[in-house]
Amino acid sequence: MRKSLPARILVSVAGILVALLFLFPTYWMFTTSLKTPGDVLSPKYDLIPTSATLSNFASALTKPGFVTYLTNSLIVTLGAVLAALVVGVLAAIPLARFRFRGRKGFLLLILVAQLAPLSALFIPMYLLMRDIGLLNTLPSLLLVYFATSLPFTVWMLYGFVNGIPYDLEEAAMIDGCSRVGAFRRVTLPLLGPGLVTTSVFSFITAWNEFLFALVFMRDQSKQTLPVWLSSFKTAFSIDWGGVMAASVIYAIPAVIFFLIVQRKLVSGMTAGAVKG
Amino acid sequence: MTATKDTPVPAGATPPAPAHVGAARKRGSGWFSERLMPYLLILPALAAVLVLLGWPTIQMLGISLRQLDLRELVTGKMVWIGFKNYTDVLSDPEFWAVALRTVLFTGALVAGTLLVALLIAVLMRHLNPVLRIFVQVSLVLAWAVPVIATTTVFQWIFDQQYGILNKTLDKLGFHSFIGYSWFSTGTSTLVVIGLLVLWQAVPFVAFTLYAGLIGVPREQYEAAGIDGAGPWQTFRAVSWPAIRPILTMVTFLSMLWDFNMFAQVWAIRQGGPDGASTTLAIMQYLKGIAGSHFGSAAAIATIMLVLLLLVTGRYVQLLVRTKDGEIA
Repeated sequence: MRKSLPARILVSVAGILVALLFLFPTYWMFTTSLKTPGDVLSPKYDLIPTSATLSNFASALTKPGFVTYLTNSLIVTLGAVLAALVVGVLAAIPLARFRFRGRKGFLLLILVAQLAPLSALFIPMYLLMRDIGLLNTLPSLLLVYFATSLPFTVWMLYGFVNGIPYDLEEAAMIDGCSRVGAFRRVTLPLLGPGLVTTSVFSFITAWNEFLFALVFMRDQSKQTLPVWLSSFKTAFSIDWGGVMAASVIYAIPAVIFFLIVQRKLVSGMTAGAVKG
Repeated sequence: MTATKDTPVPAGATPPAPAHVGAARKRGSGWFSERLMPYLLILPALAAVLVLLGWPTIQMLGISLRQLDLRELVTGKMVWIGFKNYTDVLSDPEFWAVALRTVLFTGALVAGTLLVALLIAVLMRHLNPVLRIFVQVSLVLAWAVPVIATTTVFQWIFDQQYGILNKTLDKLGFHSFIGYSWFSTGTSTLVVIGLLVLWQAVPFVAFTLYAGLIGVPREQYEAAGIDGAGPWQTFRAVSWPAIRPILTMVTFLSMLWDFNMFAQVWAIRQGGPDGASTTLAIMQYLKGIAGSHFGSAAAIATIMLVLLLLVTGRYVQLLVRTKDGEIA
């Protein structure tokens, strides 16, 4: 579409403004983390940092328990993501490839299962975990995060499998593949972007979750990063530089994960959410 | 039929065609496993959903009919009190204030998220490639930074004494903002939380809508241009139909997330000052985990669930139908 020059300039300015607005908080987090306590608290501030120190990072990383919290977070997050993917793929196949009695009902269940407010289920979940003796253990968190991301995972993957033409599998079967073999050799490789997209969502869900971690984990040593981060802020003294450094450290795994999968993410999102 | 917009209906199905895409049924051999297979495959997911989500939901309904405070929890005594928790909650004027606040807050957030995201998605289509990448990277960063970290940054920006916002306003000559508290009233606290949520939620929705927009063939826009349609008419006639199903999906998800949101509201001011930014999710938490009145907390949670079902029921219907290809 050809546009006049003023219109082009206007669009570009709008684009730059949007980008700056969305960048600013992240930028501010990062630059604050590089400042000395004196600079952080001075009434003057530099938008562009003139000096940088890594002392905030050093103090955050050497805070007691950091490595433990990081490990806990990684275990429950990656465990939940993996479990949701495997179980989700298994459920998505028949939804897309078979017509069976109860199929619609199952779809409906998957949708409605997302409605229950997580914060509302924690009392019964707390009791459930207490009764099966998992309270205050990492598996209890892993199970909760797996359960909360599963419905969405099934829903998205169903859309993805649907988007892959069945003819391809049929052709493979005519060439002598078994049913399972055909799916494994033909459809599964094409599911790549779909698996990436859905895993991003499970990842966010688990990596961010705060309430269950706070309530289920009585022991300090079982806490996860979000809880650790919120514990930085005491009522009266806030070490802002330290908090920002901790936030940067906490954000890095998520950002790396995102940047790796970004291309596939955008194409994946619509296909999974809508088509089918 | 599960014919999608971009997959041709599988040819070569011998008539009478089976009413499904799959199951090229070979009569006799493997027929039994063919029938059983789908159930075996969905079994793990079904079990997980029923045990880990369904059962707690049923329990929640049960608990809402019981008196369950710390004493009952420890002794394990079952005290059934019927609908007393509900009548208590519903006759509490504070509950109604909080419920109304939650509904308004959710409505404003969902509408704001969709509108801003839609504008950004359309903008991305018209930007030159370099700027588009710039915008996309900034959105991805905003999305990737975890909620608790973002929340902390917003607290830092809006900090009463050292926040950059007050420092900047002071610099610009508004000296009354030295030491101004952005969290002194419920409304302004909710506005800050709202901005925080927008900043977090817009990228996902914008990307999803943008992906839907670039799926529209260019010829359609050209045709609209030849027919003399203005930009607005083109949007209505070409872009809108393409992104409607996507909008349904993201509206549904935004409603769920915003209505049930806990972490951000809690982290900013724990529902303060004086409960003025308390939403239903916070109220429920305060009653339950913090106050040990698990019965009334479960009643509030059940009411939340019913409210959400009422509001999103239509979307659930639409989604199941669209997904099944009954509506193209």
